Amino acid sequence: MSDYRALGGVPFMPKPARPAPANTTGVVGWMRQNLFSSPSNALLTLVGAYIAYVTIMAILNWAVFNAVFEAESRRECLDLVGRAGACWPGVVAWSRQIMYGLYPADQIWRINMGFLTLILWVVPLWLPRVQSKVAIGLTAVLVYPFLASYWFLGGQAGFVWSVLIAASIACFVWVWATALLESFTGATFGRFVLTLLGVQHRSEQDQRRVLRAVAAAMLLVAYVAVSFWTLPFVPTTRWGGFFLTLVISGIGIAFSLPSGILLALGRRCDMPVIRIACVLFIELFRSVPLITILFMFNTMLPLFLPVGVEVNQLLRAIVAVCLFAAAYMAEVIRGGLQAIPRGQYEAASAMGLGFWQTTVLIIMPQALKIMIPTIVGNFIGLFKDTTLVSIIGLFDVLNMARAVGEDTRWLGLFIEPFFAVTVLYFICCFAMSQYSINLERKLDTGPGGRR
Amino acid sequence: MSEITELEEAAREAVASTRSTTRIIEISKLNKWFGQFHVLKDIDLTVYQGERIVVCGPSGSGKSTLIRCINHLEEHQEGDVIVDGTPLNNNVKNIDAIRSEVGMVFQQFNLFPHLTVLENCTLAPIYVKKMPKAEAEALAMSLLERVRIPEQAKKYPLQLSGGQQQRVAIARALCMKPKIMLFDEPTSALDPEMIKEVLDAMVELAKEGMTMLVVTHEMGFARRVADRVIFMDQGEIVEQAPPEVFFGAPKFDRTKLFLSQILAH
Repeated sequence: MSDYRALGGVPFMPKPARPAPANTTGVVGWMRQNLFSSPSNALLTLVGAYIAYVTIMAILNWAVFNAVFEAESRRECLDLVGRAGACWPGVVAWSRQIMYGLYPADQIWRINMGFLTLILWVVPLWLPRVQSKVAIGLTAVLVYPFLASYWFLGGQAGFVWSVLIAASIACFVWVWATALLESFTGATFGRFVLTLLGVQHRSEQDQRRVLRAVAAAMLLVAYVAVSFWTLPFVPTTRWGGFFLTLVISGIGIAFSLPSGILLALGRRCDMPVIRIACVLFIELFRSVPLITILFMFNTMLPLFLPVGVEVNQLLRAIVAVCLFAAAYMAEVIRGGLQAIPRGQYEAASAMGLGFWQTTVLIIMPQALKIMIPTIVGNFIGLFKDTTLVSIIGLFDVLNMARAVGEDTRWLGLFIEPFFAVTVLYFICCFAMSQYSINLERKLDTGPGGRR
Repeated sequence: MSEITELEEAAREAVASTRSTTRIIEISKLNKWFGQFHVLKDIDLTVYQGERIVVCGPSGSGKSTLIRCINHLEEHQEGDVIVDGTPLNNNVKNIDAIRSEVGMVFQQFNLFPHLTVLENCTLAPIYVKKMPKAEAEALAMSLLERVRIPEQAKKYPLQLSGGQQQRVAIARALCMKPKIMLFDEPTSALDPEMIKEVLDAMVELAKEGMTMLVVTHEMGFARRVADRVIFMDQGEIVEQAPPEVFFGAPKFDRTKLFLSQILAH
C-alpha cells in the first residue's frame, strides 16, 4: 500500500504527533483533573481527606499507640490503659490455637510442612521455562491431598491408602525433577532418565518399559519411607483454627472448579437425563442457604446411614461445602460459556475437532478467562463462608477467636482477636483478588494485550 | 427448467475443457427448513474437481446455508449430499471424514483469540490429524508465507487487522490440506482497503487448482476467477452460468434486477 506515491497527485504529508497538554498529565495534572476540578469538588476532596484521617488515626491510636503489648491478663491491660488501647497479649497467648486449633503443640511442624509442600508443589507453575505446567497443576489438585493426609492426619494408614501416599510423594519428586530439568536443560524427566540409564536409543516399547520400571521403583522407595516414618495419629476433632479454615476452603475451592465445569457442561448437554440431573442438582443447592446444607449433612445424614457407620464430622462439613460451591461455580461457568460466540464452535467443528477437543482446547480456556473475576470472587466468598462451620461445632479460626474471650485470664477480650482475624482474612482475600487481576492482565490477548 | 439444464451443460463443457470431470460434490434434491421456514428448496448442484464456483444472491436467499450444508454445519432434512464419494448422513464418522477434507473461511474470521496465529494454524493438524508438532509448525509457516503474513505468527488474532485475520483464517483452513474450500462471505466484514489483500490470497489459491465455493458479493472476483456463477433467490438456484454469460446475458429478470442493483453503485 506504500506505492500510492507512484500514482502521482499532490503529495500527502501527515502532521507529526504532539505531546498531550502538560496540565493533563503527571501527578499535578491528575490531581487537578480528579480532585480539584471545581470548588465543590475541592471541598469534597478536603472533607473526604479529613474523614479518612480521623478514621485511620482512631484505629492506629487504638491498635498501636495506646495498645498494651506485654501483660499477664486482661485485668492488667485494663489497669494500664482502660479501653483506650488494644490488649494484644491475649491474642499472642492464644495465637497458636487461632492458627492451629487444638493440634498437639509438638506436632504443629507437620502442618507447616504440609503447607510448605503445597507451596513447593505449585511454585513450578510460575517458573517461566517449565513446559509441563498443566500436568503439575493437575497433580497439585488430584495427588497432593494424599500427601496432605499423611502430614495432617498421620497414623497407620491401610495398604491402599499407603500406596496412594507413596504415589503422592513420588509425584512430588517428579514435579521438582521436571521443573529443574526443564528450567536448566529443556529436557523432560522421561528423556533425562532414559539418557541417564543409557537406553535412549532403544525401541519405543523398551523405553516405555524402562520408564514404567523407574516409576515403580520410585513408588517402592516412597512406600518403604512412608511405612518407616509413621507420624502419630491426630484425630480431626483436634484440628482447628486458621488451619481448619484453609483445609475446608482449600478442598472446596479445588473441588468446585472441575465439578462446576462438568455441571455447566451437563446443563447445556443435549441428553435430557444428564441435563435434568444437572439442573436439579444446581437449582437444589443454589436455592438452599449454606448453613442449612451444613445442618442437613451434620445432623440428618447420620440418620440415613446404617447403624455403626460413622462419617467424620469434618468430612461431612467438607462434603456440604464442596457440593454448595460446585452448584454456584456451575452457574458462573455457564455464564462464561454463553459469552463464547457461536462462530468459535463452528470454526472448531469445521476443522474436524470433536466435542471434548473443542471444549478443552477452544471453549473452556476462553470461558474461564472471561469469568476470572467472578470465579475468584466465588473463591473469596467460599473462603469467608467457611466460617459458618463454627455453627455446627467445628473450631475454625472465627470460633477460636471467640474462645479467647471465654478464657478466664482474658475474659471479655473479643475485639482484639476478631480484629486480628479480620486482618488475616483481609490479607488472604486481598491477595487472591490481586492475583486474579494480575492473571487477567497476563492472559489478555486483546488488541492492547501482550505482544 | 430446460434452459437451466442447457446452461448447466454449457457450464460443464466450459469446465470440462480445462478441468477434470471428477464429481467432487454431488447435491441432489436438497431441502432444509429452519423451523417452519423453508430455506433450501430442491437444490441440485454438482461440483467438479478444481472448479471455482461463486454463489451470489440477496440476503436470506439461502446461499450461506447451502455451503454450510456441505460440511454439515447445518443439518439438512431431505435430499443427498455426497462429498468426495462420502455421503453426508448422521454417521459421525462420515461427517468427520468430510470435515477434514473441507476447509471453511467465515465472514467473522472465527479465529481463536486465546491462541497465537501459529497455534491457530497448528491446532487441527496436531489434534485431528495427529501430526507431530514440528511438522505442523513447518506446514503452518509455509502457508502463512503463502498468504504473506509469516511475521505475524507469534501475535494474537485480535492484534491484527481484519484483512490479516482473514488471511490467517485461510492459512488455518489450508493447514488441514483440504480438497475443497468453502468461503462464506469472506470479505463482507472487512474495510474496503483490506478486501484486496484477501481476494489476492483467494485468487492465488484458485490458480493452484483448489476446488472453491465462494459466497460473495465481489462481482469483480467472480468475473476474474469463477468457472461458474450461481444466482440464488428464496432458497432456489435461479440461474447458473459461466461469468461471461452470467454477467453479459443473464436469462432471468430476477437475475437482471439483482445485477443491476449490485453493479449500479
